Parts: sequence; C-alpha cells; structure tokens
Amino acid sequence: MLVSVKKLNEYVDIKDIDASSLAKGLTFAGVEVEEMVTLASGTNLVIGEILTCENHPDSDHLHVLNVNLGEKYGVNQIVCGAPNARKGLKVIVARPGAKLPQIEIKPSVIRGVESNGMCCSLVELGVDIKYLNEYQTKGIEELPRDAPVGEENVLGYLGLDDTILSLNVLANRPDLLSIYNVAREVGAIFSRKVNIPVVEHKADFVTDLKVGSDTDKCSQFSGCEIRGIVTKPSPKYVQEFLMAEGVRSINNIVDIGNYVMLLTGQPLHMYDADKLTKKELIAKSDYSGEFIALDENKYELNEGDIVITTDNKPMCLGGVMGSLECAVDENTKNIYIEAASFDSASIRRTSLRLGLVSESSQRFVKGTNHFQSEEVIALASKLCRELAEAKEVSNIVTYQKEEKKQQVVKTSINKINNRLATSFSKEEIIDVLNRLNFSVKENNGELDVTVPLYRLDVTCDADISEEVIRVLGFDNVKMELPVLPTTVGGLTSKQYRQKALRDHLLASGLSEALTYSLVNKNEVYSFNLLNEEEAYQLLNPLMEDRMMFRTHILHSLLEATSYNLARQVKNIALFETSEMISKKSHTTHLAIVLCGNNSKQGLLKEEPYDFYDMKGIVENIFSLFGIENSRYRFEVSKLDKELLHPGKSADIIFQNQLVGRFGELHPLASQKYDFGKNAVVVLEMNISPLLDAKVSQIKASEISKYPTVYRDLALLVDVKINAGEIIKAIKMSGKGIVSNAEVFDVYYGAPVSLLGKKSLAIRVSYSSKDHTLQEKEITLVEDQIKFDLAKNFKAELRG
Amino acid sequence: MENSKVNEIVTRALEDIEKADKGDVINEIRNRYLAKKSELMGLMSLLGQMSPEERKDFGKLVNDAKTRISEMLNKKQQEIAQKELNKRLEEEKIDISLPGKKVELGGRNPFYLVQDEVIEIFTGMGFSVASGPEVESDLFNFELLNIPKDHPARDMQDTFYIDNNTLLRTHTSPVQAHTMQEAKGQPVKIICPGKTYRRDNDDATHSHQFAQVEGLLIDKNINIGHLKALLTLFAKKMFGEKREIRLRPSYFPFTEPSVEVDISCFNCGGKGCSMCKGTGWIEILGGGMVHPNVLKMNGYDPEVYSGLAFGIGIERVAMLRYGIDDIRKIYTNDVRFLRQFEKKA
Repeated sequence: MLVSVKKLNEYVDIKDIDASSLAKGLTFAGVEVEEMVTLASGTNLVIGEILTCENHPDSDHLHVLNVNLGEKYGVNQIVCGAPNARKGLKVIVARPGAKLPQIEIKPSVIRGVESNGMCCSLVELGVDIKYLNEYQTKGIEELPRDAPVGEENVLGYLGLDDTILSLNVLANRPDLLSIYNVAREVGAIFSRKVNIPVVEHKADFVTDLKVGSDTDKCSQFSGCEIRGIVTKPSPKYVQEFLMAEGVRSINNIVDIGNYVMLLTGQPLHMYDADKLTKKELIAKSDYSGEFIALDENKYELNEGDIVITTDNKPMCLGGVMGSLECAVDENTKNIYIEAASFDSASIRRTSLRLGLVSESSQRFVKGTNHFQSEEVIALASKLCRELAEAKEVSNIVTYQKEEKKQQVVKTSINKINNRLATSFSKEEIIDVLNRLNFSVKENNGELDVTVPLYRLDVTCDADISEEVIRVLGFDNVKMELPVLPTTVGGLTSKQYRQKALRDHLLASGLSEALTYSLVNKNEVYSFNLLNEEEAYQLLNPLMEDRMMFRTHILHSLLEATSYNLARQVKNIALFETSEMISKKSHTTHLAIVLCGNNSKQGLLKEEPYDFYDMKGIVENIFSLFGIENSRYRFEVSKLDKELLHPGKSADIIFQNQLVGRFGELHPLASQKYDFGKNAVVVLEMNISPLLDAKVSQIKASEISKYPTVYRDLALLVDVKINAGEIIKAIKMSGKGIVSNAEVFDVYYGAPVSLLGKKSLAIRVSYSSKDHTLQEKEITLVEDQIKFDLAKNFKAELRG
Repeated sequence: MENSKVNEIVTRALEDIEKADKGDVINEIRNRYLAKKSELMGLMSLLGQMSPEERKDFGKLVNDAKTRISEMLNKKQQEIAQKELNKRLEEEKIDISLPGKKVELGGRNPFYLVQDEVIEIFTGMGFSVASGPEVESDLFNFELLNIPKDHPARDMQDTFYIDNNTLLRTHTSPVQAHTMQEAKGQPVKIICPGKTYRRDNDDATHSHQFAQVEGLLIDKNINIGHLKALLTLFAKKMFGEKREIRLRPSYFPFTEPSVEVDISCFNCGGKGCSMCKGTGWIEILGGGMVHPNVLKMNGYDPEVYSGLAFGIGIERVAMLRYGIDDIRKIYTNDVRFLRQFEKKA
C-alpha cells in the first residue's frame, strides 16, 4: 500500500514529524514501511519563460535560449537540447548550483556558448516514467500558460512535493489498505488527533433501483443511482493523489472509484444504468456459464462464483471485474454505484482460478469493513457532483443481512501483563486502546474492550495484548529465562546415531551434500537401486524437472558428481542422508558416490576408488552402530537393472532384509551421466533398520595371556570360489583354537589363471585362553583344516 | 733409557689415535698398543731386573701410559661413533614439507554446520528434537495452525500440492501440531529442524526447498519475556557474546502477538554497514506467543497453558554467517565450495 504523506496530513497533523521518524514509528508498531520515496526532487528550481529561441551556431540540434526567470533572477542565457524548446514556452529551470537526482548544474560553456542553467523534463526531477506520457519523456516539461514566472516552489506548484511511504500490509491488517485507517493508525501511534471528514448524503430523488442478494456470500449490498454525469479528465488534485498512490488517472468516473477505494478501503463498482435491462442488481452464487468481462476476455463461471445479476444475467463478477455489456464509457450519462461486501474465501477462489487479481479483489480477499458502504457511497456521489457535473443523486438503497454489532473482547490488566511480561498500568493500557479507537469498560482490572468495526483482526484477548505491546513497544518486555520442570532433552538414540554416522563419514573423507527432494519423473524410477515404491507426484509443479518427491538420493548425488567432473574436480566423495517418503513408506536413506582417486598422501600416494572402498565404509557403519558382523552379510547383487556392474556389486542383507546395494556403476549407466572412463562407485542404503537396531551392551572379554601362534596356508582354488567362504570354513574346522584367519595375498595371474584357478595366502591365528598351545596340538588342527579344504573346495595346498 | 722408550710409545700411540677416523682402526690401535704382546706391555718384563725403588717408579710410568692411551682411545672412539651417527642421521634427512599421510576430512555443507549448531544450542538448553513428515496433510500444515481453507494467509505461502488434502509442508510448524497432539495436554519443549517447500522460482535469495528449525515451548505462565530471553541466549551463542536482539511486531496466523526478531549486526557491531543495510540490525527469525486457537485445536486450554514458538531459516543464517551470496550454492554441492567448510571442531 502506497501512502502519500501529503494526503495523510489532511487527516492527521504530522507536519512536524519528518518522514523517517514517521516510517520508524509505523514500522515498530507492526506496520512496516518498506520504502520511502519522494515523487521528485531538486534544488534551485524556478519557473521561467523562453523569450527567444535561436539555433546554436555550432550544432544541428542545440538551441540557445534567453529565459526570463522573473524579477529576482532576470533573463538568463541557457543552451538547451530539447526538441520542443520554443519561444513563449513556460519551463522548469534548474539554476546553477541545482542538485537534481542525477546531476548537479554548473555554469558552463557549451560549444563556445555560455549556458547558465538547464531547462528540465520531469524525468530529470526523478519522476518515474510510468506516470508520464511519451511526449513528456522526450523533451522538457511544458508548463501551463498561466504558470507563474519566478515561482521558486516548483515542486509544490507541480504537486510533486510529496513523500510516498510503501507499507507492507500484513494479512491480518486489511484495514490499512485505506488512507483513512492509516491516518487513524498514525494518530494512535503518535497520539495525534485524527480528523476524518464525515460526508452527509444528499438525495435529490428516490430511486426504484432494487438491490439484493440471493446468496450468503454477499451479506451486504448498497446502491445509488446518479443521473447526468459528464466524463472528462479529473482535476489536478485527484490526478496528483492517484499518481502518488501509483495509480494511473483514466477519467473522472474511473478515478472516483479508485480515489474512494484508496481513501476508505471499500471497492466500488459502477454500472452504465442505461445498459441494464432492468433496474435491479442482485448478487447470486449459483450462476454458471459464460461471462465477457471488461477486459474483453471470455471467462467460464462456475457455481460458487459471486455474480451481480440483472434479469438473471451476470453484469459483474462480484469484487473481481465488471462485464463489458454494462461498462461505463465516455458516452455514459447515468450510472449505478455499488458498494458491497463479499465472502473473502469465494473471491479468493474465483480470482485465483481465473487469474484475475486486482486492487479490488485483493481488498475483498483480505477482508473489508461490512458496515461503511453508505458513507462510502455518500463520498462517491459527492465527488460525482464535484468532478462529473452529476445532475441528480438518488437515495442509497441497501440490502443488509448482518447485524451491525461491534465485537466485545473480555480480558484483564493482569492477563495482558502476564502474556507480555510487562508491568503496564491500567491507565497506560486503557490509553493505548482508546488511541486505537477501542472503547474500554474497566471494572477491578477486568476489561470489556469494544473493537472498532474496521478492525477485523481483533477477536480474542491475545489480540488485545498485541495491540498494547505494538504501540507501547517491545522494549518494555522483561527478559527472563523460563523456569521449567527438568525434562530429558537432547537427541534420541536414533537421532544420535544419524549424527554419529554423518560425523564418521565426514571424518572418513566424504563431503556432505544437500540436494533437492523434487526430481524429474524419469529419474525417480530409473535410478532406483532399492525400492520400486510409487513416488508422490505434484499436482502443480513449477517445472518438469521438479515434479516428483524422490524415493532415493543417488540420482541427485550423481548429478552433483557430474557437475563437479564438468568443472575439472576429479576426486569426488559425496554422501547425503535424507528422509525418503513414498506412498508406502517413510525411511531414512544414505547415499554415497565415490569417483576418481582416494588420496592417502596428496598426489604422492593415490589409489582409484573401487568396490572395496565402499565395502569398507559399509562395514565401518555397522561397527559404528555396534552391530556385529555376524548380524549382516554381503551377497552378490540380485539387482536386475543395468545400473551396477554385475561383477562388482553387492547387496547388503541385515536382519534378513535387503537394506542396501552398492558397487561400481554399470558402464551403460555411467554413459548416461557423461562420466566417461571415470570409475564411479555408488551406494544407496536404507539406514532406518540400522538406526533402530537393538544392540547389546559391550562386555569386556579376557585377553589371553598365552602366546598366539601364526601359521600361513597357501591354497590353489577355483577362481569362482569366494575367499570369504574359505575363511568361514577354516574357522569352522579350527573351532576352539583358531581365533582368526585372514587373507594376506591373492594372485589371479598366469600360470594359475590358465587353470581357472587363483592362489590364496591365508594367515591363521591359533590361541588358547587357558594354556600355551603345543606344536602337536596346532599341527593336528592345521591338518584337519587342510583336509576339510581339500575335501570341500578341492583346494590344492602349496608350499 | 726405558723411561724415554715409554714416552716415545705414548707419543706414537697418540699420533696414531689422532689420525684414526674409523671404529675398526681404533680397535687395531688398541690391539697394537695395549694387547699383552704389545711393545708397552713388553716393557713390563723389565721390571724383574729393577730395584724395588726403580720398579715402583717404572711400573707407575707404564701404567699411567696405558691409562693415558686407553682414555684417548675411548675418547676418540666416542668421537668417531658420534660422527658416524651424525652422518647417518644427516643421510636419513627427509623433506618435511611434503604432504602428510591422512584421510582428508570431508567438506561440511554450511547448511548442516548451521543446522547442527542450532540443534546443539537448544538441546543444551534441554529441548528435545522432534520431526514430522515432509509430505503433510492440509489439516496439519494449515488448519490446525489457524489458517483455514481459503484464508488469505495461505497466499503468504505458495504451496506444492499432491492432491487436495496432501501437500509438501510449507513450514516446520505442522510439527508443532503433531507434538502437541501427542503430548496430550502436557508441557512441551521441542525444536524441529526440517526441510520445507514453497512454490517459488529459484533465484539468488529464493529456493523452492529450504529448511527451518521450529521451536515450541508450552507450559503454564509462558510469556513474551521468556521468548526474548531464549532468543537472546540463542543469538549470543550463534553469533557471538556481544549480540543483542530486538523484537518488532509482525503477523503469523499461528502466533499472537507475533514478532520479527532482529539481531545486532555481527559484521559491524551495530554501527551500520552494507550487510545490515546501514540499520545496525539484521532480521533473523520470526516468533511469538502460540495463538489461543492453535492451543485449543491441539488439546490445550489457553486459559491455563500458554506457549511460545519461533522459526529460524537455516539457509538464511548460513548465508549471513559465511557470506554466501546465492542460496543455490548451498544446493549445488561443488566439492571446492564444500571443502572450504572442513575446518570445524
């Protein structure tokens, strides 16, 4: 809402308050002033008259002028480039020393000719070009013939000596979309007397116009008939006010509607009375069908839209836009003025659906005062007489369903102070409320507060406390930390585990990513390693790339990887944890992408990331949560999509449930993201079961004080046999004294490869808790192991 | 005669020792001069032919010579050992400027740095961390927060809808409603961090996805003073001990009174700079007293209980704190950007 300070001064005397104090006062009372602008500015201005206009001897477009600046400054020579400079023209002159928004004027010599000042356009005074016509923007401003030569208050003469406040009117204060109510607010904040003129309605005749409503969505409807108007431009004061408010002046009739709405907050609508087939205006909400609006577009109306009808034909889309059929134009002689109240939810639905948002519809959506329409029409009809030569004005006919009753809110001095942590006195509180036009009945600290009709937002005692504090100021609030019963705060074990996981991954060298949850429709299903659940789809997406609520993270991380690779970032290790919501489930996922090299010592020691890096990360995650390796396993991946390398991928099985998949990206998938030859290792994991897993308390076990004996085994086995199975078998065969077995070398090359075999070297640890192991004892077990391996795996023992 | 012989041997030995430069040469010299069959020891055989008087003097002379040579040998031996050790150490010298062996720390997205810190501050004050679904019902996202259907306040938050009654939450406030309903009229002290979504086109300061941390405290006799005190404490922890806060009246449908909270500018200390647009204050969060309607709808008697609530925008804090000029940078995950944030104890 734009507010002209000059206009405001007509209703509340604030001439002694400078604009910035005014803005500050409003802002700290909850009416934020977002911007303050002066319509125009400039010093050392004076009105002059061009006495002579000659062509510049050394230019094809400049003129040399002699300009009369009146008695005080006399006649001055000015070089001017404006095409419309001519003898006899009254102009705005900026004398040497003038400070204009963009430039400072100095006496100068232009191509050998002395120039003492500048003839100005309004643009040069800082007037926004949206208020000017094309001619005004191309040359110097042409003042009326009767402009007083020598006048130095040029901005005042032009009506541009105004400051405009841009108010951020919040959704609870639609009343402030009215200059009158802003004046009331300013009066309350600065304790000033407010003087809103009361207009008596003068009727010349009794109209037989019938107004009414067949719908509860229009609770009040007032109308008035006005005869014999003349359409013409509005007078200067109306034009200036509209300009200050950012509204373009059209003609007197349209301008009256806007002028009244800006002052009172009540939108008006005007009908050409001679174009209606019957003298009636009835609000309905059961019309459906075509409607041709003022903007000459055709709209399809539904039941629920509020229309004003004559003879059951829609003449106006209530609160939104009139029909073309009965629009006021330059030939209009007789009009009906409408001032009504409409259900805000209906107007909101209609204007959103049709994409028709106007100053009027916005006011209805936010809420209007339902009980001021007669005063508003009185003002409008008075203006019709003054600005449009209206011959006759009728009485006001009103349909009013609601009872005109002011709301009374019960509260108390204590309640207000308790909520606010303040100690305001009874007198202070009542004074503030009175300033805000609330009337207060006090009895022993209990308050009955009567709310003014235009304050739609005040309905309960909390609202009253807000009124008090916003005017008296939050500086009065005493700070005190709440004293509360001690409760167990902090993180739950699940939250703690997720935090620990993230910290662990960061310490392991992975960077933490944050990506968008909304993804492309194709991607949501195509790169899904884990579940195939149906994803949520938006009804009203902004774009196709962001229309599905993702069910996995990996695609987003691969996009981030692709972004980095394209910028020559070669080594990428990213992870993200995020909530995943599908139509069926709600889980927490972890995704990881590893690409390029894993540096161990800068560039001196680097190893390309591979399957085993990811496997190690997964193993560490389980360890981190205290989940023993007997509780989970890795299986050759059963994924049947071409997303992971079939020979370098695994499924993670925890509690007999598939919780994750990882491995090297399938070459075809890699191609899709333009990864080229870079090997990319990825993981998608549902970590919810891990976050929820029950873990037993760690119990320290005795470390054997007897020495451990190490014996190495070298085996030749079929290349397809996994080392893990052999290790498991060794531990089984040596149960009791084999405490560990680990592979320390694998060899796949020739000549063993030619036999379809591989060579494995395994270190077996033997130990006992109660005695020193004897050579014989160990050999016996070792022989058993060898026998079992030969039998079960056809393993050949070497060395 | 014999005496001069001894002196002559000592002189020769000392010369040899002086020249020696290796451990094994010292051993050879020791052998040559001090072994049983050495020249010096051979002179001992002369003792038998001497008078007791002479014997005593000559014995002492030879013994002193032996001690002298031995001492010099030991000294030289130590010198050589020291030299050899120094030489070896010199040869083993490495270039300490080469990189250390390490697992490089991952880069923290500044988003998480801020979110984690906010959680830490409030859990430190005894708050619990609550969460709720990002795909939410209209009931919880709007209606239970005093924003009925077709209320103009809905225009403050452009919403992504799944269907008529399901949407992506536009703020973390629905977690308030969930928590209140679960608490069944008991006091509540929670924060809820989480992702939120609004139907905004992405640009430097707008994002269709962003995150908030919501705070909610419900008990008997909670007032605005408590809100001011809690948020002052928060501002000091988050932005430094010298920070102050300022409350400005505002409007949110679910709080009454509602406030915007400014903190004194941490860049200029309140003097006015480009960061605070010359005002000395930076708008950082919103809050207020829980609206009586919200308490009522979620199972509390507003005559008995009152509550305070606040909401902090994570990205906004991160952008202000780390001087990030475009919110999209937080969601791009340029590894070089993230790596700037690895240092954090």
